[in-house]
Amino acid sequence: MLRLLIGKELRELRRTTNATWLLVGLALLVGLALYNGYAYYTTRSAFLRQSQQTTYAQFIAQGDKNPHLGAHFGFYAYKPTADLALLDNGVEDYTGNSFYLEPHKRGEVKFREVSDATALRSFGFLNVGYFAQLLLPLFIFLLTHNLFSKEWENGTIKLVLSARVSTGQLLAGKLLAAGVVVGAVVLLLALGPLGLLAWHLGPSGLTPLLPTYACYVAGLVLYAALLTVLGGAVSLLTRNSALSLVVLAGFWLLGVFLVPRLTGELARRTHPATTAVEFDDYTFHDMQYGVGHEGTKDERRAALADSVMAYYGVKRLEDLPVYFIPITIEAAEESDGRVMDRAYAAIERNEARQNRLVQLSALLSPFLAFRELSLHLTATDLDTHRDFAAQAETHRRRVGRIVDAFYQKNTVAGNAFWRTVPQFAYAAPGLGWRLRHATGPVLLLLGWSVVAVSLLVLAKKISL
Amino acid sequence: MSASLLRVLWRHELTCLYRNRVLVVLFSLVLVVLLAALWAGSSQWHTQQRTLGRIRAHRHEMQDSLVQRIRRVEAQGMHYPGFIWDDPTFAYNTARNEGPQYAAKVPFALQALVAGQSGVQPFYYKVYITKKQQLVHESEIDNSYLQFVGTFDFAFVVVYLLPLLLIVFTYNVVSSEREQGTWVLLKTSNQSIAQLTLARLGIRYGLFTLFFWAIVAPVLAGLVGPAFLATSNWWWLVAAVSLYFAFWVALALLVNSFSLSSNLNALTLIFLWLVLGLLVPALLQFGLDRAYPIPSRIAITTAERDAINHYFERDGQTLTQEVFSSPRTLIRQASVVTPGMVYGYGVIVYKSQEIKDAATQQAERQLYRQIEQQQVALRGWQLTSPALLLQETLSALAGTHWQQFNRFSRDVDAFRYRTQRFFYPKMAQESTYRTFTVADAEAIPQFQPRVYADYHWLPIGPSWLLYAGITAVVLGVGYRRLLHATW
Repeated sequence: MLRLLIGKELRELRRTTNATWLLVGLALLVGLALYNGYAYYTTRSAFLRQSQQTTYAQFIAQGDKNPHLGAHFGFYAYKPTADLALLDNGVEDYTGNSFYLEPHKRGEVKFREVSDATALRSFGFLNVGYFAQLLLPLFIFLLTHNLFSKEWENGTIKLVLSARVSTGQLLAGKLLAAGVVVGAVVLLLALGPLGLLAWHLGPSGLTPLLPTYACYVAGLVLYAALLTVLGGAVSLLTRNSALSLVVLAGFWLLGVFLVPRLTGELARRTHPATTAVEFDDYTFHDMQYGVGHEGTKDERRAALADSVMAYYGVKRLEDLPVYFIPITIEAAEESDGRVMDRAYAAIERNEARQNRLVQLSALLSPFLAFRELSLHLTATDLDTHRDFAAQAETHRRRVGRIVDAFYQKNTVAGNAFWRTVPQFAYAAPGLGWRLRHATGPVLLLLGWSVVAVSLLVLAKKISL
Repeated sequence: MSASLLRVLWRHELTCLYRNRVLVVLFSLVLVVLLAALWAGSSQWHTQQRTLGRIRAHRHEMQDSLVQRIRRVEAQGMHYPGFIWDDPTFAYNTARNEGPQYAAKVPFALQALVAGQSGVQPFYYKVYITKKQQLVHESEIDNSYLQFVGTFDFAFVVVYLLPLLLIVFTYNVVSSEREQGTWVLLKTSNQSIAQLTLARLGIRYGLFTLFFWAIVAPVLAGLVGPAFLATSNWWWLVAAVSLYFAFWVALALLVNSFSLSSNLNALTLIFLWLVLGLLVPALLQFGLDRAYPIPSRIAITTAERDAINHYFERDGQTLTQEVFSSPRTLIRQASVVTPGMVYGYGVIVYKSQEIKDAATQQAERQLYRQIEQQQVALRGWQLTSPALLLQETLSALAGTHWQQFNRFSRDVDAFRYRTQRFFYPKMAQESTYRTFTVADAEAIPQFQPRVYADYHWLPIGPSWLLYAGITAVVLGVGYRRLLHATW
């Protein structure tokens, strides 16, 4: 009976010209999204890989220089493009990917692609993530908004209910039929990128990605299923296709555009960010005059000179067996580093509060919950970006220590020395870390699934 | 159509809309989203104004501090008690410490309506002699995640949300008559159904648009002051947005003329909204990115670094040897910082910067040429989507378009060049070190902040005239179909 019901629904769908056009249009869009994502991923990942090698090659070939001047020439730490950015490029274009490793100054990640983009970027970037987060829900709602209501509108509900079919079977049959169509689109979304990744990376490159990829697909299936159930439940509850469409389209509009943007603005107002001018003022003040009882910069420098001279048992800096300037550079790096760490930690804490507010709005929007999960799994989220920035900063300080140690005994550094400075290499944290950071979105998606099923049960009780 | 009939229709529309609660619900929704958007936009505008005030205060503090410090050194017989790298009588030290000036783009009042590029482009820079503005943005601290989420501004409400509300307002003007059984009555009346429908849609459009501007104009004037009302930017904005609404109403008339059910009308209009508002821009972006790929700014840094290495392999060696080996600079020791060392590093930094600036020119030109070409191509294609056309127009009128930020960035670069010309001679002449005086401090070049809201580079008039024509054609086709309807 269930098979008959599914067959009837699918036949009905196939015979409706609008549905066929919708599916053809959808397949084209998925194709375009795949191509777009693939082009983005391959171009950027190759370019950034090459750039990382180039910047380091330039650093180690800079020739004879004063070590400190050579350290200022420095090199860049580039954030490699995550393999799963083929699916979803997340916040990548908004964060930038270049971190300058030079002395004295904690690096800031620069070169945000979005700065050079046209107004088109504000309309979104068509890839699998964009498709799944924006267009797939609309497609599911267009598919399911009249799943049950059409029986009332066509006057066939009595016929259906008087047939040898239980209400449970009716419910399951119709939802499974919609599920078959939605599943086909999900399958396309799941297999398409997988094929492209396999083609680009080869089996050995693809294998480590499979567990993360499986989690992404599981999330996508859950998301699509809950939206299908939600669409069916609203259709059953309203028993009116127009009303059902208005409710579902309104929900989509609210959840995809209105809620996140409005909470974003709220977050900006409730947790205002410090301005760059204030940031400069505070950090300059703390570095110059010290925090607590640290003393001013001049006092700290004098104390350092005294302690170093006492350590080596000399009375003049010129009599030290090592050069004093690199020691002051290293000491300033440490004390200024503490000031900058505190200042950046305050910014990050504030941003975390802002983000939490936006992420909490996923309580009102399953689309947001899935987007969050997608960003975390594809390693294109802000947490991964911060991890990159932290690792790059650690590397910057490491380079500083190596150069200053050399500078204590040498005033000229050649390529032989530059080659001893290690290259930077970033690997995004593994699946366990990403899932831990994605606990919130996962729970919210599960919560939304419970809501959808409960709404369906309620609708069944009321309408059938 | 007589004036008395129009009056009847006006009353009829108001009664119908009021009784089925569409008017109350819809207008309440419009009111809420507009107030939220105007609040968000104006508070951003106020934040920027406050920041500029802070920058002005900061400039005065720094200038006073610099002058006082130089006077103190001069009064103590050129003895500086602190660390030599902070001694303000070295031009190089001042160029790094108190010398860098802020350059600001003053936010135009209409920016409260359209965030445009203001979320991702800096509206002020701290201008250093050693940093290329267009290469390294010293941008305002903002949360990348919130930028990714997007802004909730007037432009977003108008471009995305209001067409959907207009669809709800107009999708069943004809179909509801058929579904409620009043179509036959209309057919047998001696009035033209096409004229009646056109008049009814006109009344709805008028109601919606008047209500809209009746909220926006006074609320915005209250939030940011009424000065914007006297600018041509504002009146172009009013015309463009009103025409955009008219386009969607015309489209509703066309869809209504096809004798579909209300349900299908709504579906068709939502589909058109999706295509014109999301899919066409996404496809255009796809095409333009391939036709005019924008090189990464990383390429510019790579060129810059190559040039520096190349320079130090040849001429630079002589310079460094002269500076390093000079008995005056005492750079060949690293125990104590000497005045000669400060001078020596200043020379190296200045020379390196000259090389870097020259080296980046070509890569930078290529980057901006590609961006410019994308922008020009976009202008050619923007007629394919009224949403895109409106977005471009609004940001140009509000002074938040890429072109305006680019203009600002170029002005800042020119200012940086002026600052370099001011400091370099004082840094690079061996005879001039420790000669930076109070008079020099007072002569440090200043950037004149200004509003960047000129829009004459964008053919707003012709574009919207063309769209008025398209709207008229859509309206005409819908009207003719209704005129000759046989159903």
